Amino acid sequence: MIWVGAMLFIATTTWIGFEWSNRLANRPKHIRQVKNALQILEAEMMYSHLPLQDAFYTIQKQTPFPIHAFFDRLYKNMNYESKDFQVVWENSLETFMDISCLGKNEKEILLQFGQTLGKHDFLQQQKHIQLAASHLERELEAANEQYQRYGKMAKSLGVLCGVFIVLLLL
Amino acid sequence: MIEISRLFPERLQKEIECALTNRWETLQEIRLRLQQPIELIFNHSYEHLSSLVPDKRDFVHIIQQLSDYSLYRMEEELREGYMTIEGGHRVGLAGRVNTLNGSVKAIQYITFLNIRIAKQKLGAANKLMPHLYHNGYMNTLIVGAPQTGKTTLIRDITRIISSGWKHISPCKVGVIDERSEIAASIKGIPQHNLGLRTDVMDACPKAEGMMMMIRSMSPEVLIVDEIGGKKDVEALLEALHAGVVVICSVHGYSLEELKRRPGVQALLEKGIFNRFVLLHQKSPLQYTYTIFDSNHRNLSYAKMEGYAT
Repeated sequence: MIWVGAMLFIATTTWIGFEWSNRLANRPKHIRQVKNALQILEAEMMYSHLPLQDAFYTIQKQTPFPIHAFFDRLYKNMNYESKDFQVVWENSLETFMDISCLGKNEKEILLQFGQTLGKHDFLQQQKHIQLAASHLERELEAANEQYQRYGKMAKSLGVLCGVFIVLLLL
Repeated sequence: MIEISRLFPERLQKEIECALTNRWETLQEIRLRLQQPIELIFNHSYEHLSSLVPDKRDFVHIIQQLSDYSLYRMEEELREGYMTIEGGHRVGLAGRVNTLNGSVKAIQYITFLNIRIAKQKLGAANKLMPHLYHNGYMNTLIVGAPQTGKTTLIRDITRIISSGWKHISPCKVGVIDERSEIAASIKGIPQHNLGLRTDVMDACPKAEGMMMMIRSMSPEVLIVDEIGGKKDVEALLEALHAGVVVICSVHGYSLEELKRRPGVQALLEKGIFNRFVLLHQKSPLQYTYTIFDSNHRNLSYAKMEGYAT
């Protein structure tokens, strides 16, 4: 019986370790997705002159999960959830944070970016997009580095922690 | 009036709707000024809603609604200083202007808004039409001072010609709408009823627009608003030689005064207009017109229809 419990415990810690490592691996991936989405947004604004809602629709069609879900929600809830775009943006960002592996910094960047969206002329708008993109680039580097440093360690740490505690308790 | 009240933030929306309950019909303008009470202008009076003082946030909200949350798309509108919204209503903008090489680039901080309610007066030209038709439509010049109903009349003439009346069948009509007043188009879609057989060249300079229209759309009747410049007159003569009937309006108080204006003088001297319609505003909401023939003989005098008194 004790052995079964011990095995279950080790399995759990291993899983936690893998999950952690997974998050570390996914963060740069998701940041990259957001950056791509911003690029599409820029193109839609500058060249197609689309209004935001239509731009969001194009973006959600071209992007993979989870960023797809973010723009899909924006597209569907503009004018519907609230007439204030800021509220819709913030709520969508909250839901997005739950399903993606983005960190606090990225959230802050996107929050700031949302406040500028649709309030400026082309040139200013482009600058804001580029600013957000360069902030994200910086975060991307940090996330990559973190993954290199802790990614493998997280996996083995999970298993080892489990074994360690089991040994202590036995 | 949903297309207007939807612009406002909830707080203002409720109050304005309350203040207007059954006066939408007589409302002409809603004026908003930052940190000043909202002003409502009616046909006969105006009033301030002293409890309603829009702040910066309200303005941001309204402008977001006006631009579909996409201010970057309004470059043109911010340069012109006005925009047309659904229903043909006009929103005038003022504030701090950005210039580039001495010409206006855009209004940067919008702090004054003027929402002008558009009301198409169907039937304003009903009584006029028989005088403009004699074996085909006749070249007509509509003369009037500002605010005497020139555009209203010309819009209704357009509608009637292109949808036909009594035994007269509809004609192809081309409208050159330089100031987007006749059709009030949004992205090329007219917001007013101009009849079935009307083509509109929106925001196009009159002189070029007339030639473009003749080349491309083969109209039977051309409608032009507010001619005046030398180029306009030249293009107008060109159009007349192309065999198109032209109905246009011009600023002026009387026919005598028109004769003294260099651009228009040439037109009058050539005797190309068969009908002149002189507009007068007797009192608010009482518009009258007098019709003259090519020899400036008085043919008829009537009140414009379609206005509630």
